[in-house]
Amino acid sequence: MAKIYEDLSPLIKKTRITFYLLGFLLLLILAFYWKIQVFDYEKYYKMAEANRLRELDIPAPRGLILDRQKVVLADNLPSFKVSLIRENIKNYQKNIEELSSLLGIKTDELKNRIDRYRSLPAFEPIVIKDNLSLNEVAMIEARKDEFPEIRLEVEPKRFYPFGPTAAHLLGYLQEVSIDEIKNKADKLWRPGDMVGKTGLEKQYNDYLAGQNGKLIEMIDSLGHSKGEVNKIEPRKGKDLVVSIDFDLQKKAEELLQGKEGAIVALDPRTGECLVWASSPAYDPNRFISRFSSEEWLSIISDPRKPLENRIIRGLYSPGSIFKIVMALTGLSTGVITENSTFYCSGALQLYGKEFFCWFKPGHGNLNLPEAIKNSCNIYFYHLGRMINIDTIASYARSLGLGEKTGIDLPGEKEGLVPSSSWKKKVMGEAWYPGETISVAIGQGPLLVTPLQIAVMTACVANRGVKIVPTLVKQDNNERNGERTKISEEIFEKVIEGMWRSVNDGGTGHEAYQPGFDVCGKTGSTQVISRETAEKLAQKGGEIKKTHSWFSGFAPRYHPQIVVTVLVEYGGMGGQTAAPIAGEIFKLYREKYVRQANLQGN
Amino acid sequence: MLDRRIFKEIDITTIALMVIITIIGIIFIYSAIYFQASQFVWRQIIFMLVSLLALFISLLIDYKILLSFSFQFYILMNLLLLGLLIFGKVVAHTKSWIVIGSFQFQPSELTKLAVILLLARIFSEYREDSMSFRALIISSGVVAIPFVLTAIQPDLGTALTYLPILLGIYILAGIKKKHLIIIMIASLIIGVLGWNYGLKNYQKKRIEILMTPNQDPRGSGYQLRQSKIAIGSGGLIGKGYHKGTQSQMRFLPARHTDFILAVIGEELGFLGIFLVLGIYFAFLYRLFSTVFISPDKGGVYISFLSALLIAGQFLINIMMIVGLFPITGIPVPLLSYGGSSLMANYLICGLVLNVRMRRFAYI
Repeated sequence: MAKIYEDLSPLIKKTRITFYLLGFLLLLILAFYWKIQVFDYEKYYKMAEANRLRELDIPAPRGLILDRQKVVLADNLPSFKVSLIRENIKNYQKNIEELSSLLGIKTDELKNRIDRYRSLPAFEPIVIKDNLSLNEVAMIEARKDEFPEIRLEVEPKRFYPFGPTAAHLLGYLQEVSIDEIKNKADKLWRPGDMVGKTGLEKQYNDYLAGQNGKLIEMIDSLGHSKGEVNKIEPRKGKDLVVSIDFDLQKKAEELLQGKEGAIVALDPRTGECLVWASSPAYDPNRFISRFSSEEWLSIISDPRKPLENRIIRGLYSPGSIFKIVMALTGLSTGVITENSTFYCSGALQLYGKEFFCWFKPGHGNLNLPEAIKNSCNIYFYHLGRMINIDTIASYARSLGLGEKTGIDLPGEKEGLVPSSSWKKKVMGEAWYPGETISVAIGQGPLLVTPLQIAVMTACVANRGVKIVPTLVKQDNNERNGERTKISEEIFEKVIEGMWRSVNDGGTGHEAYQPGFDVCGKTGSTQVISRETAEKLAQKGGEIKKTHSWFSGFAPRYHPQIVVTVLVEYGGMGGQTAAPIAGEIFKLYREKYVRQANLQGN
Repeated sequence: MLDRRIFKEIDITTIALMVIITIIGIIFIYSAIYFQASQFVWRQIIFMLVSLLALFISLLIDYKILLSFSFQFYILMNLLLLGLLIFGKVVAHTKSWIVIGSFQFQPSELTKLAVILLLARIFSEYREDSMSFRALIISSGVVAIPFVLTAIQPDLGTALTYLPILLGIYILAGIKKKHLIIIMIASLIIGVLGWNYGLKNYQKKRIEILMTPNQDPRGSGYQLRQSKIAIGSGGLIGKGYHKGTQSQMRFLPARHTDFILAVIGEELGFLGIFLVLGIYFAFLYRLFSTVFISPDKGGVYISFLSALLIAGQFLINIMMIVGLFPITGIPVPLLSYGGSSLMANYLICGLVLNVRMRRFAYI
């Protein structure tokens, strides 16, 4: 390879000069560092001491939660808390012991608390006690100078003025966990922040939560504040107006007092929920502490499950309420007309097995409205024999069973509507026609939530428009929903039966309200099978009663309210649930309908 | 083509110095942000290993081959920068990052490599004693295109780091006095125009702050003031590793990237700074000395421009953090946190090593 000789020496010379110049510049710079670090050291040291800024969060109050008439259901109260700043601790063991005696916390508990936030920088305050009493505040204030490592702060604390009222709806707040902070970095949560853990507080957490303010203050080397440098005011969260009616809610909770069950009422036109009562309830005020108390443990281990929101998380057999679905299916598929009659003798032999009506003497000859009115089992056994399970399942689904209603609350369950493919998948065997007989009267593997029953009832009330229930007050009163494939006339025929059930001496007659044309259907579900019950009875064991259902709407034409009641172990639906629903209808009529009539509207 | 003997010529001293500097950086990245350090420390360690690997791979290719492809490489990088401006996603207020999944890359760092190679190629065939006007325009243009594309991202800091390369060409190729005067006048005009129309307000503030650092301690002067306090309060021997109050208390901004030397200054004092500067100076000498033993002009240009680029960034940073230069967001090569910058600087050092190990190829 031919190569021309290149004289590189001028370039090398230039490089040397450049390098020397750079070295010289570096020396000059080093001299400047000497000036700053050694010559002016005192000055900068003092500046460093005086210059320590501390950034503190100012918690923003959460938005209020109000009922549809602006009754405050969730409020804020000022509350005192004590925080610890680790970097100001001079002697860990000694300071911790003194602090624990000052605050009345166990030393180990305090250490655990501090350990939990080990990964945070030492200047970040850690809340070590909240909800201080005025006595405690006075004592800490008086001895403040002995404890430079702690800060006393006021924060807005959530307060539910009516205690357990609508507790399951509102939810409660708890301190954000370390995992949540790490997994939801976009939320910018800080340790000690209180966030919604269930209910509306969780669902609308971002809406309700305000934006924390910031206080930047100058501090000396001991951590004492030397004055405010900058302050960004906190921004309060937005208020949430819910669709609940406080008076109806109170009434519903009174009616459920001492019982386990659920009441939900909604406006079929808009889907707005008016009542949301689940019993037993709890007082959410008790959880708004950063420190789990024994009370908390006792509540979560209570066998009656007071924390469970039965309206969307309780799964029950629908019992005779399901006869509405059966009737609609029968009419839509043309298997029966409203005039088709079957004879009820009180018992029926099918597939080699004896099935009974709840009314042992038998109802005699009945057509469809009469069968609904009397909730006759034999009629629906006949119907169940004539319809395929998958057809039933598809109609049940179209009415909102077996799927989430889409309510704006977290944790909703979807229930179960069995079909032949479901059984094949889960049990690995084919569906027996005998099982359809059980499903026909709402037993078998059917599972529903009270809210699904309310949505189904609203769909009947609307003559086929299925709404999405909501808890937030809607601005426009427009009906939002989708039409089912079942025609309006078919609904009218079923509604006739539901009307008779309440107004014509049927099973739902206890829900009767003069002048309000309530239409409804009762249900009683066997909690255990008949065979087990009989065995238990032979052994002299206690037979638990059945769950009691009522679901209905009023008035018959242009319905305004749907009420669904479930009382666990309440006995026959007509005896327990129907009168409770009647009370809700009554109060609603007094408050809304008569009021409107008096105003000549 | 690939002679195994040349691998014995890989300069272990330079590589050792590079790794030492990066490890010092990692030690202080850990100190600077200890409450979430593990993430940054591990990432930087991985960046270092990946960069070393990339460096060794780059050594397989003769720098003369790299020079022959320099034009294509240069075009590619500029297209990438242009594409970024048009399609890029805004990360941290600039469009300087290519984001692929959780992986981000700053092509403007790698563009420096392309600029060095292209200029080295152009001037390795240049036979005059001093630069003609045409050569001046071409060399300035080669730098100006990526400079502008990067500056409007906007990432003025990275854009400014192209300038040492241009300076290197002017020095080595020999700029004529009259041209130097023209350039000075031109930059004065551009400076005035840029000040009035081009620079963003915060950038202007930063230059003003140099003159009067104490006028607004919580505003724009904040970074400089905090950095100076950190360094000054370190004194002769420092406050001790992990004990710097300024850096520990989050008052020091970008302490794991641009202000890593301020953390060292605070925690190890003047002696620490002296030591780090000493190691860095030895490393720079190693880069510049490659020029003295280069076999050809291309090698000279590559070594000199690379060395000057690293030296320039380093000097700007150590001046910037004590207020001798405007705060422009230039990290310390090899020392500061940041994957793209680490990778690009390792590859730039790789070019120098490449020239050094092939110095006997033609003799």
